Amino acid sequence: MVARFLKETDLAAITAAWARDYRVLAPVREGSSIVYRVFSQDMHPFLGRPPTSSAKEALLPQTENLFTYKYRKDQDDLTRTEVFLSEALPPEPTLILGPRPCDARGRHLLDRVFLERGVIDPQYKAHRAATLFVSVACTSMQNTCFCHWTGGAMDDETGSDVLLHPLALESASGFVAKAVTPAGEKLLANLPEATSEMLAKLDERKAQAPAPDNAPALAGIAESFLAVFDDLDFWTDQSARCLSCGVCTYLCPTCSCFNITDENHGMSGRRLRTWDTCMSALYTLEGSGHNPRISRAHRLRNRVGHKFSYHPREFPEAAPSSGQSPSGLEFSCTGCGRCIRSCPVAVDIRQIVLDVLAKAKETAEAKE
Amino acid sequence: MNASNPYIPELATIVETFDETPDVKTFRVVLQDPTKMAAFRFEPGQVAQLSVFGTGESTFVICSPPTRMEYLQFSVMRVGELTHRLHTLKAGDPIGLRAPLGNHFPYRDMQGKDIVFVGGGLGMAPLRTLLLFMLDNRADYGNITLIYGGRTPEHLCFKDELKDWAARGDMRVELTVDNPGTDWQGRTGVVPAVLTELAVSPENAVAVTCGPPIMIRFTLEALGKLGFTDEQIVTTLERRMKCGIGLCGRCNIGEKFVCVDGPVFTQAQLAGLPQEF
Amino acid sequence: MANESSASQSSPSESPRVEALRAKIALELPNVDFVLGYGRGFDPLHATPVTVRTEKDLSRLIFDPTCVQNLATSLYGLRGKRLGVVVKGCDSRSVIQLLQERLWERENLVIFGLPCEGVLDLAKLRATLDIASVRSASFTGSPRDGLLRLNLSGEGGERVRDIETKGLLADKCLRCQHPNPLVYDHMIGPEVEPQGREDEYADLHALEKLSTQERFDFWKRQMSRCIRCYACRNACPLCVCKHVCLADSREPHWLSAEATLQEKWLFQVMHALHLAGRCTECGECQRSCPMGIPILLLKRMMNRELKELFNYQAGVSLDAVPPLHTFLMEEDRIKDRGLLW
Repeated sequence: MVARFLKETDLAAITAAWARDYRVLAPVREGSSIVYRVFSQDMHPFLGRPPTSSAKEALLPQTENLFTYKYRKDQDDLTRTEVFLSEALPPEPTLILGPRPCDARGRHLLDRVFLERGVIDPQYKAHRAATLFVSVACTSMQNTCFCHWTGGAMDDETGSDVLLHPLALESASGFVAKAVTPAGEKLLANLPEATSEMLAKLDERKAQAPAPDNAPALAGIAESFLAVFDDLDFWTDQSARCLSCGVCTYLCPTCSCFNITDENHGMSGRRLRTWDTCMSALYTLEGSGHNPRISRAHRLRNRVGHKFSYHPREFPEAAPSSGQSPSGLEFSCTGCGRCIRSCPVAVDIRQIVLDVLAKAKETAEAKE
Repeated sequence: MNASNPYIPELATIVETFDETPDVKTFRVVLQDPTKMAAFRFEPGQVAQLSVFGTGESTFVICSPPTRMEYLQFSVMRVGELTHRLHTLKAGDPIGLRAPLGNHFPYRDMQGKDIVFVGGGLGMAPLRTLLLFMLDNRADYGNITLIYGGRTPEHLCFKDELKDWAARGDMRVELTVDNPGTDWQGRTGVVPAVLTELAVSPENAVAVTCGPPIMIRFTLEALGKLGFTDEQIVTTLERRMKCGIGLCGRCNIGEKFVCVDGPVFTQAQLAGLPQEF
Repeated sequence: MANESSASQSSPSESPRVEALRAKIALELPNVDFVLGYGRGFDPLHATPVTVRTEKDLSRLIFDPTCVQNLATSLYGLRGKRLGVVVKGCDSRSVIQLLQERLWERENLVIFGLPCEGVLDLAKLRATLDIASVRSASFTGSPRDGLLRLNLSGEGGERVRDIETKGLLADKCLRCQHPNPLVYDHMIGPEVEPQGREDEYADLHALEKLSTQERFDFWKRQMSRCIRCYACRNACPLCVCKHVCLADSREPHWLSAEATLQEKWLFQVMHALHLAGRCTECGECQRSCPMGIPILLLKRMMNRELKELFNYQAGVSLDAVPPLHTFLMEEDRIKDRGLLW
């Protein structure tokens, strides 16, 4: 597909054009955070840094109706009631502007859960079909970024419909816009083609970007994790600082756990699906009072285990889509670093993964 | 299950309720659409999500067998928000049902074998579906023994059926309680002790056990001492569940989800999972 | 004389004060299960709480203006243990409040007090700078009038920037009256003079100047960012209900799971009310908010009322009784005598 050029000064206009056909979610700066807002003419999308929240809210909203219900009393016998259910409304066509390649890869990992695990989730499927990702390639790695550990890259196209490559030219700053899907191509139809000079400049910029540190060897992580699973002292030390809040899971582009609850108003109400977090003790608390993950150690262990052991074990055939994963495994993590960046107590999942590898090695050596 | 949307329950009506114990109530339920009820199929051990619209959903085993389809039976202990609300419902009230969910007892592999049921409290509910299924296909199975215990005689579920089963002559029923009170004629003591005392033979046998975690622990120990291997022990796991279809995440044990890969596991399968029960 | 410390390394010689802290902790290690202190986080601008169990762990300890967390937050969840905890002046007020409310026992706590001249508010830095591009950082001088030198990486290689720390200090530090821990077993280093301005509630005044509608719009905008992660609740040293919180309760059903403004707002109102007369304004709720919602304003609003009504400030005296924990027939500042019956 042809590469096109989008001038920075034309960004608002093209976003406004997209907004005629789509509900556009665009990142804006608000104080110290960068959040997605429904685009309006007076907004200034900010594409300069990764947004604080991940793009998953476009596909898996924080809360949504699964269906609504209504009770009706039998007028001839008021002790009898009937109930009627109505399906949730279909999602609006949505375009999310500003995800990073790590966010777009998150879309691919959400697909694993909601479309490929077994039962197809109709609501996710509808969101998925109605949503376009206009992503922005990164020009440098933040100190919390580790996409290259997981098969991602600063210009990885996986999961995007359009990837905008920032390019500063003397004449005009803007983006080399590359369509990844036919739907993305349509979005760019009115933009001029990028010149060969622009493309050469882009290649030059990419070549000059500092290479990330070498990714650690993670090929054995799924099994190393299981080897240290029962070492509760290890997990207690790892989790001692954890506050059991939902920052890491709610900002994560791949965390997809949800709760289902009813909200009743008189004779009618809704069944809701809401983000849930495995960091909360309530997540696994059973009616009997029994809780298989009673401590923060159990819960942090589950989060790390899910991303780096359970997921690759569940999808062993899944080649990391970009083919760049140094480990050959697909993780339920795209290395976006939000869980590190926004954690109030600076829990670093990279360090935990490295500690798991070291601990497993140490334990294995001690056994010999 | 609703074919187009697995989150939308089928509407059902409670046709009968009665108390089993002071805190367990049994519900008999039929789907409102007779065609759907006639087409409903499940396997012994599979579970359902029961909805009380406005309160929520919870998971319960279908404790009637697939060989008796005039209604689906659920026995529910009053413990939380949903079960409290459920206990207030009466015959004629509408509820929602998403079923069948999960796997089932490996009853085909059990054909020709002696079966030992070891149950405690409401753990009898999943055992009941399999036991009745086997009694309805009696010729397919060898000797059947039921060892069932409760806190008090009052806390035993399915009391009338227990008497019927004991009177059948083609199975053995051993009941025991922790606190016998005054009128109890049966055994006193915990289930694993009875199991040990009866010295049930592991030869060509399968043990199926369900009950409170502490009972399970000592039952597994007792079965092990009797010579049962992990492959010969079948149990069910209870976890907090929401979606019932392997998506919402919370019931995972490692990469397995109790709601789809369970709730029935052999002890050998459980031994291969991360120990987080 | 300029006191230079590098936040990017933790060489044992970096600071005599950290050395003294390590020595004191080493002395107490046999008497406690473990000590909660600060270690270096994932980058030079982040500290992270660490547990010191053995002498081997001592080398992980640091103390500098990045040590923002209030370690008193971890205490309640660790009841039953005998612990050491490293506190700044402000953190010690949370400890006092926990002790007053009998949420912890003094005899089971060894307190290492560190006089503090201020900690960074990374949100202030983040508003102007991509702090995640920081590769190394060092401090020169006191946080009150020193410099933060940052090496930043990014497109076009490394850059160096010097920033005055004063503009980066947390607001609570700019009005701090208690830089020296008010309760301690070991005071590490010389006490410092309080230099904080008197609290004139300029932030509240600015908000109160707005019309009701403008104020409502302000909060609507702010609260609409909330993702209901409850970091604000879990980071609060005095919010001890944690997982049996009203916010999560289904019976009674106070809050719905809907992500509406009403739900988000109601929780913050409950949080503020439950902290009235208890909140020491450590600011952990606001600092922990990933979405940058200024929720400390609500607590400050309550505290100002408490100060006006009861002349009370939480967490400054072990012997004081919080006004909402007691009852007086006649309050000095509440003129309702004529109405009593």
